[in-house]
Amino acid sequence: MRERFASGFDPFVIPFVLGMVFVLSYCLFGMIRILVQLPKADRRKFLLSLVTPKTLLKDIKDIFLNCLIHVKLWKRNPVLGYMHSSIAFGWFMIILLGHLEVMLFLPERIHLFYYPIFFNYFVAETETTLQGAVLFFLMDFFLLMILSGIVLAIIKRVRSRIVGMRRTTNPSFLDRVGLYSLWAIFPLRLLCESFTAHISGGSFLTLPMNWIFRQFLGNELNALPTWWAYSIALGVFMTVLPFTRYMHIPSEMLLIPLRNAGLHILHPRKGFARVQFYSCPGCGVCIDACPMSVRKENLKDCTVYLNRQLRRGNEKRIEEISDKCLMCGKCTAVCQVGVQGPELRLAQRTMRNYGVNPHYSDIDPERFRVEGGSAKVLYFAGCMTHLTPGIGKSVRSLLDKAGVPFKMMDPEGGLCCGRPMMMAGRKEQTRELIRLNTDIIRNSGCTTLLLSCPICYRIFKERYSLDGIRIVHHSVFFDELIKQGKLSVQHNDSLRLAYHDPCELGRGCGIYDEPRSAVSSVAELLEAGKNREESICCGGSLGSLSLNFEKRKDITLASLKNLCVEDPDGIVTACPLCQSTFSNYSDIPVQDIAQVLDNASS
Amino acid sequence: MTMDRKIVIIGGGIAGMETAACLRDLGWTPVIVEQSSALGGHVAEWNCLFPDLAPAGKLVDSLRAKVEGIEIHLDTVIAAINYLRKGYSLVLSDGTKLQSDAVVFATGFSLFRAEKKEEYGYGIYDHVISNKDLELWFNTGSDERVPDNPKAVGFVHCVGSRDIKAGNTQCSKVCCITAIKQAIEFKEKFPKAEVYCFYMDLRLFGRKYEDFYIHAQKDMGIHFIRGRVSEVSETIDGRVFVKAEDTLSGKPLRVSLDLLVLMAGIVCNRDNDRLAQAVSLPLDEDGFFRSRDNVSQLTLSDKPGVFFAGTCTGPKTIPETLAEARSAALAVNEYLKTLK
Repeated sequence: MRERFASGFDPFVIPFVLGMVFVLSYCLFGMIRILVQLPKADRRKFLLSLVTPKTLLKDIKDIFLNCLIHVKLWKRNPVLGYMHSSIAFGWFMIILLGHLEVMLFLPERIHLFYYPIFFNYFVAETETTLQGAVLFFLMDFFLLMILSGIVLAIIKRVRSRIVGMRRTTNPSFLDRVGLYSLWAIFPLRLLCESFTAHISGGSFLTLPMNWIFRQFLGNELNALPTWWAYSIALGVFMTVLPFTRYMHIPSEMLLIPLRNAGLHILHPRKGFARVQFYSCPGCGVCIDACPMSVRKENLKDCTVYLNRQLRRGNEKRIEEISDKCLMCGKCTAVCQVGVQGPELRLAQRTMRNYGVNPHYSDIDPERFRVEGGSAKVLYFAGCMTHLTPGIGKSVRSLLDKAGVPFKMMDPEGGLCCGRPMMMAGRKEQTRELIRLNTDIIRNSGCTTLLLSCPICYRIFKERYSLDGIRIVHHSVFFDELIKQGKLSVQHNDSLRLAYHDPCELGRGCGIYDEPRSAVSSVAELLEAGKNREESICCGGSLGSLSLNFEKRKDITLASLKNLCVEDPDGIVTACPLCQSTFSNYSDIPVQDIAQVLDNASS
Repeated sequence: MTMDRKIVIIGGGIAGMETAACLRDLGWTPVIVEQSSALGGHVAEWNCLFPDLAPAGKLVDSLRAKVEGIEIHLDTVIAAINYLRKGYSLVLSDGTKLQSDAVVFATGFSLFRAEKKEEYGYGIYDHVISNKDLELWFNTGSDERVPDNPKAVGFVHCVGSRDIKAGNTQCSKVCCITAIKQAIEFKEKFPKAEVYCFYMDLRLFGRKYEDFYIHAQKDMGIHFIRGRVSEVSETIDGRVFVKAEDTLSGKPLRVSLDLLVLMAGIVCNRDNDRLAQAVSLPLDEDGFFRSRDNVSQLTLSDKPGVFFAGTCTGPKTIPETLAEARSAALAVNEYLKTLK
């Protein structure tokens, strides 16, 4: 190998260099800004995680697996997985191999950062070596891999259904500029390397193309303009990148370590939240996943559009989308990057100034003093179970049958658990309710807090500090009682029940197996079309602040349809709100797990 | 013009009977098809009628006498209706085929299923009944849910009416006055009992209704509380514990009762979907049949030869239903005269 030009420079590299300098400095400043915006404690946590070998290794592993290989996407949709990893990993390998080439053949040029990218233009092959042949082969191989990914990307843009997506996003103008320049980069690279392959050398792809072009085009005249085009395409892509969805590429590399450091979204625009919405690749997987998407007018209320509006700063739409969401968390469950849509919205809701702010300072927790002797199990029914008294009755009956002494925390209605206030973004009220309830629970002398509502369960689990007290959902508790033989149930072979995963219990608290096990002990368990992490919200969620009752109907009907794919005799769920929501529209009986177990036990 | 033209009346409640009687008086041949085993519909199950506490049985008996001699198919539903060039051809569930020149829908309403408002505990708690259960108890005196010596009883208005969550936004029109009537009757039976009515509005539009209400409040000492019941629970000794808000005093209210009566509202007949499909008639959003015009042509449908009478087009009182039945008969009469 020898250099063709003593200067090691040609003006065509300028567009690339400018673009690269721009995007690198943009990202650097962006990163510094975000780190400054982080609350002090969070920033410390983050920096500490970077020097802790365990989290650092996890960071590197996650970045490699998610940003380059796209493991999560492979699992979900192999075609899309291949498309993304071929471009990301292939590109990464080309850059890496480019640097290897420079280091190997012209180590004195490694300080010129455009050199590895345009290596083939600047060199002439003097002799064929094994190292060179292997490197050139790998270069051509990865280029081919990227090109196959680009072909898939073009097909996906034309017809998304072919790659298994029903709906995808509408790219904005700059997104399109980025998209087309990205598509152009690799075919152009193939062309320019082919035009210079007889000088710089090439492999199985570039050499035959060089030969073909020589037959009718000639190579010398075409080479420089094509290298210019290649450099311009790169320059354009780099320049528009910060303003397009491709910003997710650098953002995700920051998102992963921030997440691994255990940070939470506290402000809807600053710090961690900013990294989150810039990490959104805009793929639109959340459009199909969002339960609201059954209504055409709500198609643009899912997380991908929230992220877009957050980037643009469209306050009106941000507020609207944030209030409308059912907070079921399905978008996060399917998101390849793990953007926390509901948490972004929750942070947005905490920004609002409400006109009326209730306070509970005059509530005396003594009024709710728990009576009922020395029983160690405290049952908190919560408002939703009080509104579905059949469930509460069954829970009490099951406890009696199993001989579990218990006392009621709210026999005649008690205080709210605080979750509705939390969902509405009212931090102060939530704190007050948590303080009051904690008082009541501590004074009761219980060791187990039993809940029949997953909405309550989740906030007790996440936000209360009740060390020493076991917080348990009734589906888990009864499953245990059955397994321990304390609750005897009769299996009905002819009863086929479909289980609905409530959002708050499943995605919210990760409880999927215990309710299934309990249902299986009394009936044949059927699964819904989409279940577990991808279960569809019943539509009754109190997460939405603005979706009215009529509009929720379509969501409920779609969710019911999903539950009935195996034609069950009835639906069983573990949430009083899901139960009452489904009951409004279901043709088959909808019961809570407690009611089903109560019917089958003696 | 032939006078032996036949009219099939679907439904043998008070609207169907009155229409049939009038049509026969006008010289035509009506046929009544009733799905239950007796004529009279909902009214036959009622005890007394507002505002004069006249016995419902008397009204039903007089109507039954008026339709004496008319062809009546009991325990029968319509299996199919076909529109032919000359009127309608109907197939009944017992296999009978009827040719008719006109069809009158007098299919009435369904009572809202109180168990759908689960928070009120109907079917779950021992002492929660519906307005219909109470009328049956007035008639028969046997219902183990009604305690022997009640000290306190509550009436919940608007159960399943004006309630978007229950799927019915319309006002059932008759429950306010029915609740007052039942409260008075109950108080007369148990003068020492405290009687509470939980209402959101009192819609007392008819003649004497307001006087009836004043009577209930002043003379009978019935407590009217403006505010919806939020939830109902059961105390350890089996009484009904009601939480509500008294919106006039702005305070929450908690009261233990021996009996809670739910004023289940009027909703569209659950068979309407099937019936409407059979003749491809449009239903309104609320599930009731759609009249050609809601002001002047209430008894006419969009189809020639199909007429409506009574509560199949929305909640109505008994006098309104009877008046409309006669109006439907006249409309049918007019229509038949135009047939060559």
